[in-house]
Amino acid sequence: MNYPFWEVPFLGSSSVIAIIAIFHVMISQFAVGGGLWLPMAERKALKEGRTDWMAQLKSHSRFFLLITGVFGTVSGVGIWFAIGLTQPEATSTLIHNFVFGWAMEWVFFLIELTTIAVYYYTWNRIPAKLHLAIGWLYAGSSLFTLIIINGILTFMLTPGDTWLGVAGTGAEASKFWNAFFNPTYWPSLLMRTLVCISLAGVWALVTGSRIDSDKQPALKASYLRWTTRWLVPSFVLMPLSLLWYLLMVPASQRALLTLGISTIGSGTFSQVTRLALVMIITSATIIVVTYYLAYKNPKDFTLAHASAIVILALMATGTGEQAREMLRKPYVIGRHMYSNGLRVSEVAGRNQNGYLEHSLWLNQTTSAHWAQGEAMYRGQCGACHTLTGYRALNKLLANRDRQSVGSLLTMLHEYKADLAYRKFMPPLTGTNEEIEALGDYLYAQASPNAPKATPVSAPVLKAEK
Amino acid sequence: MVASIYNWLDERLGLAEIIAFAQHKTVPTHKHSFWYYWGGISLFLFLIQVFTGILLLVYYRPGAEAFESVRQITYVMHFGWLIRSAHSWSANLFIFSIIVHMFSVYFMKAYRKPREIGWFTGIALLFLGALFGFSGYLLPMDELSYFATKVGLQIPASLPFLGPFTATILRGGPDVSEFTVQRFFALHVVVLPLLFLPLLGLHLYLVQKHGNALPPSELAKPASARKSIPFFPNFFQKDLAMWLISLNVLALLASVYPWDLGKQADALSPAPAGIHPEWYFMAPFHMLKILGNWLPGATGEVVGILLFTVGLALWVVIPLYDGENKAGSRGRIAHYFGLFAVTALLVTTALGYWGIR
Repeated sequence: MNYPFWEVPFLGSSSVIAIIAIFHVMISQFAVGGGLWLPMAERKALKEGRTDWMAQLKSHSRFFLLITGVFGTVSGVGIWFAIGLTQPEATSTLIHNFVFGWAMEWVFFLIELTTIAVYYYTWNRIPAKLHLAIGWLYAGSSLFTLIIINGILTFMLTPGDTWLGVAGTGAEASKFWNAFFNPTYWPSLLMRTLVCISLAGVWALVTGSRIDSDKQPALKASYLRWTTRWLVPSFVLMPLSLLWYLLMVPASQRALLTLGISTIGSGTFSQVTRLALVMIITSATIIVVTYYLAYKNPKDFTLAHASAIVILALMATGTGEQAREMLRKPYVIGRHMYSNGLRVSEVAGRNQNGYLEHSLWLNQTTSAHWAQGEAMYRGQCGACHTLTGYRALNKLLANRDRQSVGSLLTMLHEYKADLAYRKFMPPLTGTNEEIEALGDYLYAQASPNAPKATPVSAPVLKAEK
Repeated sequence: MVASIYNWLDERLGLAEIIAFAQHKTVPTHKHSFWYYWGGISLFLFLIQVFTGILLLVYYRPGAEAFESVRQITYVMHFGWLIRSAHSWSANLFIFSIIVHMFSVYFMKAYRKPREIGWFTGIALLFLGALFGFSGYLLPMDELSYFATKVGLQIPASLPFLGPFTATILRGGPDVSEFTVQRFFALHVVVLPLLFLPLLGLHLYLVQKHGNALPPSELAKPASARKSIPFFPNFFQKDLAMWLISLNVLALLASVYPWDLGKQADALSPAPAGIHPEWYFMAPFHMLKILGNWLPGATGEVVGILLFTVGLALWVVIPLYDGENKAGSRGRIAHYFGLFAVTALLVTTALGYWGIR
């Protein structure tokens, strides 16, 4: 089935997903880690009889409610819109395969939203023990949202042989649990839980920085020092969990990373390796900077310092998520669906009958040949490339003549086993005529001297009798 | 072991005195303290420039082989792409951080008595920094840098009297060529550092002598209500943390978005569409463009350059107009002038990029 294409000029639709997703992950993982942070902090305050802490925790829970309940929720819906438009086939697969999973996710999400609102609005209004119990209920429900979404996210990287064995038969949902507890499920859960705990600490530094050092120096020091400790588990266990995670990724998909690591000596490591290295460096910096700024000098810790740490966390999250996404290349669902939404099983059919066989979305205002090329670009290149912006084709093809563009497309179409592009690009499908049309279209974008589209009048649609 | 090395050095260099001095020195803390870090960040980025610049110097060959040597650095030398990328990104971050530093100094009124010379030297350093950027931009001699430099040199060339002569001297001929690269290279690695380093030394000495300035809101408070922290180790640790954060930002930009190398410059080929100067020259470039459209012929450019020069001159001499540490109409006018300058720069830069999108 062909869907209409969502073309985002310059930025590219995949960048739209990335921007919303990184923003969302920063907040949703705070929602999980912070969910644990709040009742633990409250329990500590109750145990030690720290009334100053209780007032501060109330203020922190308001910040938490606003950030997670407003920005987290809105960006979550934003992801649905963006992935539905950019990757309709993959989104459809996720929905159909994990109906029950999504249902559970939303139930826990509703509990999460309700309990955090109750938690905030019942400070000092209900018995302390009951209030704390609500905090724990929130922590449990938010942890379950991670437990469930982790199964779906890891499925996209490693669906597992059992599920792949039934893929395309109509019985995919029968292997729900195999798909859910896929090879990278547990290491990813450990890794994400560690990140959640760290982010709870990072965000709590923001509220901690607002405590007046002159009026409440003891509160500020104890609060910031206790919060800084939340970064330690991640610092200790993250390298091990990262190694475990990478070991579970199929070697074929790990190829870009291993290639990058093996070429570090010559300094030409791949993009995914660069991202992974930046993530590691940034995570280590967060620990060092937080130790010096917040733990050693809590009195002088300001909102600007806390914001700088949040920016570092954003960098670590962004590079980590992008590295994970790149590890999945050339698939959007590992070994099942390519990053342009084409199933592996559909390739032969598209080559024989044409990529545009069922396409309803050809441009009617230009010649048929040009419209074919444009539709081929949108369908097979547009998920990762733009014409003039992000991963711009006009730049990537700038130094090629028409014949050279054609040779590249032929290589991608033949998709031989030793083709270097196989590590990150899907095969190009379609008939010779369609590939010719794509070549002309791309050449016209990259070369100022190439023939351009010939406008024709759009056909007038008549009402059916 | 460490103690004995320290004692050995202390005996010869007087380290204990330096540390005692640093501990005695204080830095004010208040709600605007964040802006104090930008001078240090600029210095750190400059040091990165020097370090990566020296590494590039080992393989770069100015003149006719300029492009080929940069191509080798980028694609053949081990880690060459990373060093070049770090150099280019840190140059941009350096200019950005000194612009932020300049405006924070301006709005905190840190140019007032007795810090006028600190302001003048700072402006001179920014000017030299921009020249570093302009001269370094041409050195790869790819298509973009060639045509952008050509356009950039049209600005001095349009000045009356000395303009064409200056442009010819800079170009080393009637047009941008390998001789221009040779001249820009000499400017970039010899002339500008010779001017920059002593000026930087003087600037840092003045910062050290007068300390961090208090903004008017803090000056209005009684001395007993003002807070400060020791420079060493408290502020020093924070400064280092900020340097580390800057290094992270640089690592991300340099490795994930490596600096591009375009096609080799060809003087006979037409200029590619959308040629424009670097972002920090975009504002004056676009102002000239607007005036060029409004006024006939070369008048627009001349009027534009004159207006810009007058505005710049007023900006530089602001300590002479608003030099006293007291509230009053001069302080307010200077403040509004600053707001106008920020708005004008942001708007014209945005319009410039909008025009070439």
